[in-house]
Amino acid sequence: MKRFLPLLGKEVRALFYSPIAYIIIGVFLILMGYSFTITLFVNKFATLVHIFFQSAGLLFLLIPIITMRLFAEERKAGTLELLLTAPVRESHVVIAKYLASMAVVLAMIALTGTYAFVLGLFGSPEWGPIYSGYLGLALLSSTLVSLGLMISALTANQVVAAIVTIGISFLLWTIDTLAAMMPDALERVLISFSLLARFQPFVTGAMYLSDFGFFVSSTLLALFLAMRALARR
Amino acid sequence: MTPVIVAESLTKLYGSRLAVDQVSFDVKPNEVLGLLGPNGSGKSTILRILTGYLRPTSGTAKVAGYDVIENGLEARGQLGYVPEDVPLYTHMRVYEFLELMGRLRGLAETSLPREVDQVVERLSLGAVRSLLISKLSRGYRQRVAIAQALLGKPKLLVLDEPTNGLDPRQIIEVRELIRTLARELSILVTSHILAEMERVAHRVAILLDGKLLSVHTLGGNGTSSRVRVRLRGSDEPTVRSRLSAVPDLAVAEAQPAQGTYVLESARGTAYAVRALVESGFAVEEASQAGTGLEELFLRLTEGAQR
Repeated sequence: MKRFLPLLGKEVRALFYSPIAYIIIGVFLILMGYSFTITLFVNKFATLVHIFFQSAGLLFLLIPIITMRLFAEERKAGTLELLLTAPVRESHVVIAKYLASMAVVLAMIALTGTYAFVLGLFGSPEWGPIYSGYLGLALLSSTLVSLGLMISALTANQVVAAIVTIGISFLLWTIDTLAAMMPDALERVLISFSLLARFQPFVTGAMYLSDFGFFVSSTLLALFLAMRALARR
Repeated sequence: MTPVIVAESLTKLYGSRLAVDQVSFDVKPNEVLGLLGPNGSGKSTILRILTGYLRPTSGTAKVAGYDVIENGLEARGQLGYVPEDVPLYTHMRVYEFLELMGRLRGLAETSLPREVDQVVERLSLGAVRSLLISKLSRGYRQRVAIAQALLGKPKLLVLDEPTNGLDPRQIIEVRELIRTLARELSILVTSHILAEMERVAHRVAILLDGKLLSVHTLGGNGTSSRVRVRLRGSDEPTVRSRLSAVPDLAVAEAQPAQGTYVLESARGTAYAVRALVESGFAVEEASQAGTGLEELFLRLTEGAQR
Protein backbone atom coordinates (compact mmCIF):
# COMPACT_ATOMS: atom_id res chain seq x y z
CA MET A 1 0.00 0.00 0.00
CA LYS A 2 2.96 2.27 0.79
CA ARG A 3 4.04 2.17 -2.87
CA PHE A 4 0.55 1.77 -4.32
CA LEU A 5 -0.82 5.15 -3.21
CA PRO A 6 1.97 7.13 -4.93
CA LEU A 7 1.28 5.11 -8.08
CA LEU A 8 -2.43 5.91 -7.88
CA GLY A 9 -1.65 9.59 -7.28
CA LYS A 10 0.63 9.63 -10.32
CA GLU A 11 -2.08 8.12 -12.52
CA VAL A 12 -4.84 10.45 -11.32
CA ARG A 13 -2.56 13.41 -11.81
CA ALA A 14 -1.54 12.26 -15.29
CA LEU A 15 -5.19 11.96 -16.34
CA PHE A 16 -6.22 15.31 -14.93
CA TYR A 17 -3.05 17.04 -16.11
CA SER A 18 -4.02 16.27 -19.67
CA PRO A 19 -6.84 18.37 -21.17
CA ILE A 20 -8.34 15.15 -22.55
CA ALA A 21 -10.12 14.29 -19.27
CA TYR A 22 -11.79 17.72 -19.08
CA ILE A 23 -12.76 17.69 -22.75
CA ILE A 24 -14.27 14.22 -22.46
CA ILE A 25 -16.23 15.12 -19.32
CA GLY A 26 -17.36 18.40 -20.92
CA VAL A 27 -18.50 16.80 -24.18
CA PHE A 28 -20.26 14.01 -22.30
CA LEU A 29 -22.17 16.42 -20.06
CA ILE A 30 -23.16 18.75 -22.91
CA LEU A 31 -24.51 15.89 -25.02
CA MET A 32 -26.26 14.24 -22.10
CA GLY A 33 -27.72 17.55 -20.90
CA TYR A 34 -29.06 18.25 -24.39
CA SER A 35 -30.51 14.76 -24.65
CA PHE A 36 -32.06 14.93 -21.14
CA THR A 37 -33.72 18.27 -21.83
CA ILE A 38 -35.14 17.28 -25.21
CA THR A 39 -36.39 13.91 -23.93
CA LEU A 40 -37.99 15.50 -20.89
CA PHE A 41 -39.82 18.16 -22.90
CA VAL A 42 -41.04 15.71 -25.55
CA ASN A 43 -42.02 12.75 -23.35
CA LYS A 44 -42.76 14.56 -20.08
CA PHE A 45 -41.89 11.33 -18.20
CA ALA A 46 -39.84 11.47 -15.01
CA THR A 47 -37.44 8.73 -16.08
CA LEU A 48 -33.74 8.39 -16.93
CA VAL A 49 -34.02 5.23 -19.08
CA HIS A 50 -33.07 7.09 -22.26
CA ILE A 51 -30.22 8.85 -20.51
CA PHE A 52 -28.80 5.55 -19.29
CA PHE A 53 -28.82 4.03 -22.78
CA GLN A 54 -27.42 7.17 -24.38
CA SER A 55 -24.75 7.41 -21.67
CA ALA A 56 -23.79 3.80 -22.33
CA GLY A 57 -23.52 4.55 -26.07
CA LEU A 58 -21.27 7.55 -25.43
CA LEU A 59 -19.14 5.64 -22.93
CA PHE A 60 -18.33 3.13 -25.68
CA LEU A 61 -16.72 5.98 -27.60
CA LEU A 62 -15.24 8.02 -24.74
CA ILE A 63 -13.77 5.34 -22.46
CA PRO A 64 -11.35 4.06 -25.14
CA ILE A 65 -10.05 7.64 -25.47
CA ILE A 66 -9.31 7.66 -21.73
CA THR A 67 -7.76 4.19 -21.67
CA MET A 68 -5.80 4.28 -24.93
CA ARG A 69 -2.91 6.21 -23.39
CA LEU A 70 -2.62 4.25 -20.13
CA PHE A 71 0.14 1.88 -21.21
CA ALA A 72 0.61 2.77 -24.89
CA GLU A 73 1.82 6.29 -24.07
CA GLU A 74 4.19 5.09 -21.33
CA ARG A 75 5.56 2.40 -23.60
CA LYS A 76 6.18 4.86 -26.43
CA ALA A 77 7.76 7.48 -24.15
CA GLY A 78 9.92 4.83 -22.47
CA THR A 79 8.62 5.69 -18.99
CA LEU A 80 7.15 2.18 -18.71
CA GLU A 81 10.76 0.97 -18.43
CA LEU A 82 11.38 3.44 -15.63
CA LEU A 83 8.18 2.39 -13.86
CA LEU A 84 8.57 -1.37 -14.17
CA THR A 85 12.23 -1.37 -13.11
CA ALA A 86 11.31 0.44 -9.88
CA PRO A 87 10.54 -1.89 -6.97
CA VAL A 88 6.78 -1.88 -7.59
CA ARG A 89 4.46 -4.79 -8.41
CA GLU A 90 3.07 -5.04 -11.92
CA SER A 91 -0.35 -5.74 -10.42
CA HIS A 92 -0.19 -2.44 -8.53
CA VAL A 93 0.68 -0.56 -11.72
CA VAL A 94 -2.33 -2.10 -13.50
CA ILE A 95 -4.76 -1.53 -10.62
CA ALA A 96 -3.60 2.08 -10.15
CA LYS A 97 -4.26 2.83 -13.81
CA TYR A 98 -7.65 1.11 -13.62
CA LEU A 99 -8.76 3.01 -10.50
CA ALA A 100 -7.57 6.37 -11.84
CA SER A 101 -9.49 5.86 -15.09
CA MET A 102 -12.56 4.73 -13.18
CA ALA A 103 -12.32 7.90 -11.10
CA VAL A 104 -12.64 10.01 -14.26
CA VAL A 105 -15.52 7.93 -15.64
CA LEU A 106 -17.39 7.79 -12.34
CA ALA A 107 -16.98 11.54 -11.87
CA MET A 108 -18.47 11.99 -15.33
CA ILE A 109 -21.40 9.70 -14.57
CA ALA A 110 -21.92 11.19 -11.10
CA LEU A 111 -22.30 14.66 -12.61
CA THR A 112 -25.37 13.43 -14.53
CA GLY A 113 -26.91 12.93 -11.08
CA THR A 114 -28.12 16.51 -11.47
CA TYR A 115 -30.72 15.17 -13.94
CA ALA A 116 -32.10 12.85 -11.27
CA PHE A 117 -32.10 15.80 -8.89
CA VAL A 118 -34.10 17.88 -11.39
CA LEU A 119 -36.57 15.03 -11.87
CA GLY A 120 -36.97 14.68 -8.11
CA LEU A 121 -37.51 18.43 -7.77
CA PHE A 122 -40.24 18.77 -10.38
CA GLY A 123 -41.73 15.26 -10.61
CA SER A 124 -42.06 11.97 -8.80
CA PRO A 125 -39.66 9.56 -10.47
CA GLU A 126 -39.37 5.92 -9.57
CA TRP A 127 -36.07 5.89 -7.73
CA GLY A 128 -35.36 2.12 -7.91
CA PRO A 129 -34.52 2.03 -11.67
CA ILE A 130 -32.51 5.24 -11.29
CA TYR A 131 -30.29 3.72 -8.60
CA SER A 132 -29.94 0.43 -10.47
CA GLY A 133 -29.34 2.28 -13.74
CA TYR A 134 -26.43 4.17 -12.22
CA LEU A 135 -25.07 0.91 -10.79
CA GLY A 136 -25.38 -0.65 -14.26
CA LEU A 137 -23.52 2.28 -15.84
CA ALA A 138 -20.74 1.97 -13.25
CA LEU A 139 -20.42 -1.78 -13.84
CA LEU A 140 -20.47 -1.41 -17.63
CA SER A 141 -17.81 1.31 -17.36
CA SER A 142 -15.68 -0.99 -15.23
CA THR A 143 -15.72 -3.69 -17.91
CA LEU A 144 -14.99 -1.16 -20.67
CA VAL A 145 -12.15 0.50 -18.74
CA SER A 146 -10.46 -2.81 -17.94
CA LEU A 147 -10.87 -3.96 -21.57
CA GLY A 148 -9.32 -0.71 -22.83
CA LEU A 149 -6.52 -0.97 -20.31
CA MET A 150 -5.76 -4.54 -21.37
CA ILE A 151 -5.57 -3.56 -25.03
CA SER A 152 -3.41 -0.53 -24.21
CA ALA A 153 -0.98 -2.93 -22.48
CA LEU A 154 -0.53 -4.79 -25.76
CA THR A 155 0.52 -1.91 -28.02
CA ALA A 156 2.66 1.22 -28.13
CA ASN A 157 0.21 2.93 -30.49
CA GLN A 158 -2.57 4.88 -28.80
CA VAL A 159 -4.77 5.09 -31.89
CA VAL A 160 -4.56 1.35 -32.41
CA ALA A 161 -5.45 0.82 -28.73
CA ALA A 162 -8.52 3.09 -29.02
CA ILE A 163 -9.82 1.63 -32.28
CA VAL A 164 -9.41 -1.99 -31.18
CA THR A 165 -11.12 -1.22 -27.85
CA ILE A 166 -14.06 0.48 -29.62
CA GLY A 167 -14.33 -2.45 -32.05
CA ILE A 168 -14.35 -5.15 -29.37
CA SER A 169 -16.70 -3.15 -27.12
CA PHE A 170 -19.25 -2.66 -29.89
CA LEU A 171 -18.98 -6.30 -30.89
CA LEU A 172 -19.73 -7.33 -27.30
CA TRP A 173 -22.59 -4.76 -27.09
CA THR A 174 -24.32 -6.04 -30.18
CA ILE A 175 -23.40 -9.70 -30.09
CA ASP A 176 -26.99 -10.65 -29.16
CA THR A 177 -28.05 -9.69 -32.71
CA LEU A 178 -25.62 -12.26 -34.05
CA ALA A 179 -26.77 -14.72 -31.39
CA ALA A 180 -30.35 -14.59 -32.71
CA MET A 181 -29.13 -16.16 -35.96
CA MET A 182 -27.35 -19.04 -34.23
CA PRO A 183 -28.58 -22.45 -33.00
CA ASP A 184 -30.08 -22.41 -29.51
CA ALA A 185 -27.03 -23.70 -27.64
CA LEU A 186 -24.70 -21.19 -29.26
CA GLU A 187 -27.27 -18.42 -28.91
CA ARG A 188 -27.32 -18.83 -25.15
CA VAL A 189 -23.51 -18.73 -24.99
CA LEU A 190 -23.28 -15.63 -27.17
CA ILE A 191 -26.04 -13.79 -25.31
CA SER A 192 -24.22 -14.42 -22.04
CA PHE A 193 -21.39 -12.26 -23.44
CA SER A 194 -23.69 -9.50 -24.64
CA LEU A 195 -23.04 -6.25 -22.81
CA LEU A 196 -26.45 -4.95 -23.91
CA ALA A 197 -28.25 -7.99 -22.54
CA ARG A 198 -26.34 -7.65 -19.25
CA PHE A 199 -26.89 -3.90 -18.97
CA GLN A 200 -30.58 -3.71 -19.94
CA PRO A 201 -32.04 -5.19 -16.73
CA PHE A 202 -30.25 -2.61 -14.58
CA VAL A 203 -31.88 0.23 -16.51
CA THR A 204 -35.35 -1.18 -15.99
CA GLY A 205 -34.78 -1.72 -12.30
CA ALA A 206 -34.23 -5.47 -12.46
CA MET A 207 -30.92 -6.54 -10.98
CA TYR A 208 -29.63 -10.07 -11.37
CA LEU A 209 -26.67 -11.45 -9.51
CA SER A 210 -25.50 -13.15 -12.73
CA ASP A 211 -25.27 -9.78 -14.53
CA PHE A 212 -23.46 -8.26 -11.58
CA GLY A 213 -21.10 -11.25 -11.54
CA PHE A 214 -20.52 -10.94 -15.29
CA PHE A 215 -19.36 -7.33 -15.08
CA VAL A 216 -17.17 -8.00 -12.03
CA SER A 217 -15.61 -11.17 -13.45
CA SER A 218 -15.04 -9.64 -16.91
CA THR A 219 -13.28 -6.69 -15.20
CA LEU A 220 -11.07 -9.01 -13.17
CA LEU A 221 -10.30 -11.16 -16.22
CA ALA A 222 -9.28 -8.14 -18.32
CA LEU A 223 -7.12 -6.75 -15.47
CA PHE A 224 -5.49 -10.16 -15.06
CA LEU A 225 -4.79 -10.34 -18.80
CA ALA A 226 -3.34 -6.81 -18.67
CA MET A 227 -0.95 -7.99 -15.93
CA ARG A 228 -0.02 -11.02 -18.04
CA ALA A 229 0.55 -8.77 -21.06
CA LEU A 230 2.93 -6.67 -18.97
CA ALA A 231 4.70 -9.74 -17.62
CA ARG A 232 5.22 -11.10 -21.16
CA ARG A 233 8.27 -8.99 -21.88
CA MET B 1 33.39 -10.02 -1.19
CA THR B 2 30.08 -11.18 -2.67
CA PRO B 3 29.55 -9.82 -6.19
CA VAL B 4 26.73 -7.29 -6.61
CA ILE B 5 25.77 -8.83 -9.95
CA VAL B 6 26.13 -12.46 -10.92
CA ALA B 7 24.87 -13.23 -14.42
CA GLU B 8 25.04 -16.84 -15.58
CA SER B 9 24.42 -18.01 -19.14
CA LEU B 10 21.97 -15.22 -19.87
CA THR B 11 20.20 -15.80 -23.17
CA LYS B 12 17.45 -13.73 -24.77
CA LEU B 13 15.60 -14.58 -27.95
CA TYR B 14 13.39 -12.05 -29.74
CA GLY B 15 11.35 -14.44 -31.86
CA SER B 16 14.02 -16.38 -33.69
CA ARG B 17 16.69 -13.66 -33.31
CA LEU B 18 19.30 -14.34 -30.66
CA ALA B 19 19.91 -10.99 -28.92
CA VAL B 20 21.97 -12.30 -26.00
CA ASP B 21 23.81 -15.61 -26.18
CA GLN B 22 24.97 -17.40 -23.01
CA VAL B 23 26.48 -14.31 -21.37
CA SER B 24 28.03 -14.73 -17.92
CA PHE B 25 29.83 -12.09 -15.86
CA ASP B 26 29.91 -10.55 -12.42
CA VAL B 27 30.31 -7.09 -10.91
CA LYS B 28 32.14 -6.72 -7.64
CA PRO B 29 31.36 -4.17 -4.91
CA ASN B 30 32.56 -0.65 -5.81
CA GLU B 31 33.54 -1.80 -9.27
CA VAL B 32 32.67 -0.06 -12.52
CA LEU B 33 32.05 -2.68 -15.19
CA GLY B 34 31.61 -1.43 -18.73
CA LEU B 35 29.65 -3.32 -21.35
CA LEU B 36 31.25 -2.35 -24.62
CA GLY B 37 30.04 -3.26 -28.05
CA PRO B 38 28.66 -1.86 -31.29
CA ASN B 39 24.98 -0.95 -31.58
CA GLY B 40 22.83 -4.06 -31.55
CA SER B 41 25.38 -6.16 -29.68
CA GLY B 42 22.98 -6.90 -26.82
CA LYS B 43 24.20 -4.38 -24.22
CA SER B 44 20.82 -2.78 -23.50
CA THR B 45 19.07 -6.16 -23.51
CA ILE B 46 21.43 -7.39 -20.80
CA LEU B 47 20.73 -4.26 -18.71
CA ARG B 48 16.99 -4.72 -19.19
CA ILE B 49 17.22 -8.30 -17.98
CA LEU B 50 19.25 -7.31 -14.92
CA THR B 51 16.84 -4.51 -14.05
CA GLY B 52 13.83 -6.80 -14.39
CA TYR B 53 12.31 -5.09 -17.44
CA LEU B 54 12.89 -8.11 -19.69
CA ARG B 55 12.79 -11.75 -18.78
CA PRO B 56 15.66 -13.89 -20.04
CA THR B 57 14.81 -16.83 -22.30
CA SER B 58 17.24 -18.84 -20.20
CA GLY B 59 19.98 -18.26 -17.64
CA THR B 60 19.92 -16.58 -14.26
CA ALA B 61 20.93 -13.25 -12.83
CA LYS B 62 21.24 -12.07 -9.26
CA VAL B 63 21.47 -8.52 -7.95
CA ALA B 64 22.88 -8.26 -4.42
CA GLY B 65 22.01 -11.92 -3.94
CA TYR B 66 18.40 -11.62 -5.16
CA ASP B 67 17.32 -13.49 -8.28
CA VAL B 68 15.92 -10.95 -10.75
CA ILE B 69 12.97 -13.25 -11.59
CA GLU B 70 12.25 -15.14 -8.37
CA ASN B 71 12.82 -12.14 -6.09
CA GLY B 72 12.32 -9.39 -8.65
CA LEU B 73 10.92 -6.84 -6.21
CA GLU B 74 13.85 -7.21 -3.82
CA ALA B 75 16.38 -7.24 -6.68
CA ARG B 76 14.89 -4.05 -8.16
CA GLY B 77 15.03 -2.48 -4.71
CA GLN B 78 18.83 -2.83 -4.75
CA LEU B 79 19.45 -0.92 -7.97
CA GLY B 80 18.96 2.41 -9.64
CA TYR B 81 18.56 2.45 -13.41
CA VAL B 82 18.95 5.14 -16.04
CA PRO B 83 17.63 3.86 -19.40
CA GLU B 84 19.27 4.99 -22.64
CA ASP B 85 16.86 7.68 -23.82
CA VAL B 86 16.40 9.09 -20.31
CA PRO B 87 12.63 8.64 -20.11
CA LEU B 88 11.05 10.96 -17.53
CA TYR B 89 7.55 12.14 -16.66
CA THR B 90 7.95 15.46 -18.42
CA HIS B 91 4.68 16.93 -17.09
CA MET B 92 6.10 16.86 -13.57
CA ARG B 93 8.39 19.33 -11.86
CA VAL B 94 11.85 18.02 -10.93
CA TYR B 95 11.15 17.74 -7.20
CA GLU B 96 7.73 16.14 -7.80
CA PHE B 97 9.31 13.51 -10.00
CA LEU B 98 12.06 12.80 -7.49
CA GLU B 99 9.52 12.55 -4.67
CA LEU B 100 7.43 10.12 -6.72
CA MET B 101 10.43 7.92 -7.52
CA GLY B 102 11.53 8.06 -3.87
CA ARG B 103 8.09 6.90 -2.75
CA LEU B 104 8.10 4.11 -5.35
CA ARG B 105 11.45 3.03 -3.91
CA GLY B 106 9.77 2.79 -0.52
CA LEU B 107 11.40 5.79 1.17
CA ALA B 108 9.61 6.85 4.34
CA GLU B 109 7.82 10.22 4.23
CA THR B 110 10.07 11.41 7.07
CA SER B 111 13.31 10.75 5.19
CA LEU B 112 12.04 11.58 1.68
CA PRO B 113 12.67 15.39 1.75
CA ARG B 114 16.20 14.86 3.05
CA GLU B 115 17.00 12.19 0.44
CA VAL B 116 15.59 14.36 -2.36
CA ASP B 117 17.63 17.35 -1.12
CA GLN B 118 20.76 15.21 -1.08
CA VAL B 119 20.43 14.02 -4.69
CA VAL B 120 19.40 17.52 -5.83
CA GLU B 121 22.55 18.92 -4.28
CA ARG B 122 24.76 16.11 -5.51
CA LEU B 123 23.56 16.49 -9.12
CA SER B 124 23.49 20.32 -8.91
CA LEU B 125 19.78 20.47 -9.64
CA GLY B 126 18.98 23.22 -7.14
CA ALA B 127 18.40 25.86 -9.81
CA VAL B 128 15.89 23.74 -11.70
CA ARG B 129 14.17 21.79 -8.94
CA SER B 130 10.88 23.65 -9.37
CA LEU B 131 10.91 23.62 -13.16
CA LEU B 132 8.85 21.31 -15.35
CA ILE B 133 11.02 18.51 -16.69
CA SER B 134 9.73 19.29 -20.20
CA LYS B 135 11.56 22.65 -19.96
CA LEU B 136 14.95 21.13 -19.12
CA SER B 137 17.92 20.66 -21.46
CA ARG B 138 19.23 17.18 -22.31
CA GLY B 139 22.05 17.58 -19.82
CA TYR B 140 19.72 18.47 -16.94
CA ARG B 141 17.37 15.63 -17.86
CA GLN B 142 20.29 13.24 -17.66
CA ARG B 143 21.10 14.58 -14.21
CA VAL B 144 17.47 14.21 -13.07
CA ALA B 145 17.49 10.61 -14.33
CA ILE B 146 20.69 9.85 -12.42
CA ALA B 147 19.30 11.62 -9.34
CA GLN B 148 16.20 9.41 -9.28
CA ALA B 149 18.41 6.33 -9.65
CA LEU B 150 20.40 7.30 -6.56
CA LEU B 151 17.35 7.68 -4.31
CA GLY B 152 17.20 5.06 -1.59
CA LYS B 153 20.98 4.51 -1.74
CA PRO B 154 21.06 1.52 -4.08
CA LYS B 155 23.96 -0.93 -4.14
CA LEU B 156 24.09 -0.89 -7.91
CA LEU B 157 23.73 1.87 -10.48
CA VAL B 158 22.91 0.79 -14.03
CA LEU B 159 23.59 3.37 -16.74
CA ASP B 160 22.72 2.76 -20.38
CA GLU B 161 24.83 4.98 -22.66
CA PRO B 162 24.94 7.80 -20.08
CA THR B 163 26.88 10.24 -22.27
CA ASN B 164 24.69 9.95 -25.38
CA GLY B 165 23.53 13.32 -26.65
CA LEU B 166 25.58 15.33 -24.14
CA ASP B 167 28.00 18.12 -25.01
CA PRO B 168 31.72 17.70 -24.13
CA ARG B 169 31.40 19.56 -20.84
CA GLN B 170 28.44 17.45 -19.76
CA ILE B 171 30.28 14.27 -20.79
CA ILE B 172 33.18 15.22 -18.51
CA GLU B 173 30.73 15.93 -15.67
CA VAL B 174 29.03 12.54 -16.05
CA ARG B 175 32.42 10.83 -16.19
CA GLU B 176 33.51 12.58 -12.98
CA LEU B 177 30.23 11.64 -11.35
CA ILE B 178 30.68 7.96 -12.24
CA ARG B 179 34.16 8.00 -10.73
CA THR B 180 32.90 9.61 -7.53
CA LEU B 181 29.90 7.29 -7.23
CA ALA B 182 32.09 4.22 -7.68
CA ARG B 183 33.47 4.89 -4.19
CA GLU B 184 30.03 4.15 -2.75
CA LEU B 185 28.38 1.63 -5.05
CA SER B 186 28.89 -0.67 -8.01
CA ILE B 187 28.20 0.63 -11.48
CA LEU B 188 27.30 -1.22 -14.65
CA VAL B 189 27.60 1.09 -17.62
CA THR B 190 27.22 0.54 -21.36
CA SER B 191 28.83 2.44 -24.16
CA HIS B 192 29.83 1.98 -27.74
CA ILE B 193 32.63 4.52 -27.26
CA LEU B 194 35.97 2.94 -26.37
CA ALA B 195 37.50 6.11 -24.94
CA GLU B 196 34.61 6.51 -22.52
CA MET B 197 35.11 3.05 -21.13
CA GLU B 198 38.84 3.50 -20.74
CA ARG B 199 38.22 6.57 -18.61
CA VAL B 200 35.64 5.22 -16.20
CA ALA B 201 35.61 1.43 -16.04
CA HIS B 202 37.71 -0.95 -13.95
CA ARG B 203 36.84 -3.83 -16.26
CA VAL B 204 35.26 -3.95 -19.68
CA ALA B 205 33.15 -6.78 -21.07
CA ILE B 206 33.28 -6.77 -24.87
CA LEU B 207 30.13 -7.88 -26.64
CA LEU B 208 29.42 -8.66 -30.26
CA ASP B 209 26.21 -10.08 -31.71
CA GLY B 210 24.97 -10.98 -28.25
CA LYS B 211 28.10 -12.94 -27.32
CA LEU B 212 30.55 -11.98 -24.59
CA LEU B 213 33.94 -12.09 -26.29
CA SER B 214 36.20 -11.10 -23.42
CA VAL B 215 36.40 -9.34 -20.06
CA HIS B 216 39.37 -6.99 -19.99
CA THR B 217 40.81 -5.40 -16.85
CA LEU B 218 41.67 -1.69 -17.03
CA GLY B 219 43.35 0.66 -14.59
CA GLY B 220 39.91 2.03 -13.87
CA ASN B 221 38.73 5.22 -12.27
CA GLY B 222 40.54 7.26 -14.89
CA THR B 223 43.96 5.92 -13.97
CA SER B 224 45.15 4.11 -17.04
CA SER B 225 47.21 1.06 -16.18
CA ARG B 226 49.59 1.77 -19.06
CA VAL B 227 52.13 4.56 -18.81
CA ARG B 228 54.40 5.66 -21.65
CA VAL B 229 57.74 7.06 -20.41
CA ARG B 230 60.95 8.34 -22.01
CA LEU B 231 64.02 7.68 -19.90
CA ARG B 232 67.42 9.29 -20.44
CA GLY B 233 70.60 7.20 -20.46
CA SER B 234 69.18 3.83 -19.42
CA ASP B 235 69.44 0.63 -21.40
CA GLU B 236 66.71 -2.00 -21.50
CA PRO B 237 68.34 -4.63 -19.22
CA THR B 238 68.89 -1.98 -16.51
CA VAL B 239 65.28 -0.78 -16.77
CA ARG B 240 63.92 -4.31 -16.58
CA SER B 241 66.19 -5.35 -13.74
CA ARG B 242 65.53 -2.27 -11.56
CA LEU B 243 61.78 -2.33 -12.14
CA SER B 244 61.53 -6.02 -11.28
CA ALA B 245 62.04 -4.95 -7.66
CA VAL B 246 59.21 -2.37 -7.79
CA PRO B 247 55.76 -3.73 -6.86
CA ASP B 248 52.77 -3.21 -9.22
CA LEU B 249 55.00 -1.97 -12.05
CA ALA B 250 56.25 -3.94 -15.06
CA VAL B 251 57.61 -3.27 -18.54
CA ALA B 252 54.96 -4.03 -21.18
CA GLU B 253 56.70 -2.72 -24.29
CA ALA B 254 60.20 -1.42 -24.92
CA GLN B 255 61.74 0.73 -27.64
CA PRO B 256 65.26 1.08 -26.21
CA ALA B 257 66.58 2.93 -29.25
CA GLN B 258 64.31 5.88 -28.42
CA GLY B 259 64.52 5.29 -24.67
CA THR B 260 60.73 4.79 -24.66
CA TYR B 261 58.98 2.21 -22.52
CA VAL B 262 55.32 1.37 -21.91
CA LEU B 263 54.84 0.26 -18.32
CA GLU B 264 51.94 -1.60 -16.73
CA SER B 265 51.16 0.23 -13.50
CA ALA B 266 48.43 -1.08 -11.24
CA ARG B 267 48.49 2.18 -9.26
CA GLY B 268 48.30 4.78 -12.01
CA THR B 269 50.66 7.20 -13.71
CA ALA B 270 51.83 9.21 -10.68
CA TYR B 271 52.88 6.06 -8.89
CA ALA B 272 54.87 4.86 -11.91
CA VAL B 273 56.73 8.16 -12.29
CA ARG B 274 57.51 8.36 -8.59
CA ALA B 275 58.80 4.77 -8.58
CA LEU B 276 61.01 5.46 -11.61
CA VAL B 277 62.53 8.56 -10.02
CA GLU B 278 63.07 6.75 -6.73
CA SER B 279 64.78 3.94 -8.68
CA GLY B 280 67.23 6.46 -10.05
CA PHE B 281 65.91 6.97 -13.58
CA ALA B 282 65.91 10.34 -15.35
CA VAL B 283 62.31 10.65 -16.57
CA GLU B 284 62.16 13.04 -19.52
CA GLU B 285 58.52 12.46 -20.41
CA ALA B 286 55.54 10.52 -19.03
CA SER B 287 51.99 10.12 -20.30
CA GLN B 288 49.07 7.72 -20.12
CA ALA B 289 49.49 5.18 -22.89
CA GLY B 290 45.95 3.96 -23.22
CA THR B 291 44.86 0.53 -22.15
CA GLY B 292 45.28 -1.38 -25.34
CA LEU B 293 41.51 -1.69 -25.35
CA GLU B 294 41.17 -0.40 -28.87
CA GLU B 295 43.54 -3.01 -30.28
CA LEU B 296 41.89 -5.72 -28.23
CA PHE B 297 38.40 -4.66 -29.32
CA LEU B 298 39.39 -4.61 -32.99
CA ARG B 299 41.16 -7.94 -32.73
CA LEU B 300 38.24 -9.61 -30.97
CA THR B 301 35.49 -8.17 -33.14
CA GLU B 302 37.38 -8.83 -36.38
CA GLY B 303 38.13 -12.36 -35.25
CA ALA B 304 34.49 -12.99 -34.40
CA GLN B 305 33.18 -11.53 -37.65
CA ARG B 306 35.53 -13.59 -39.79
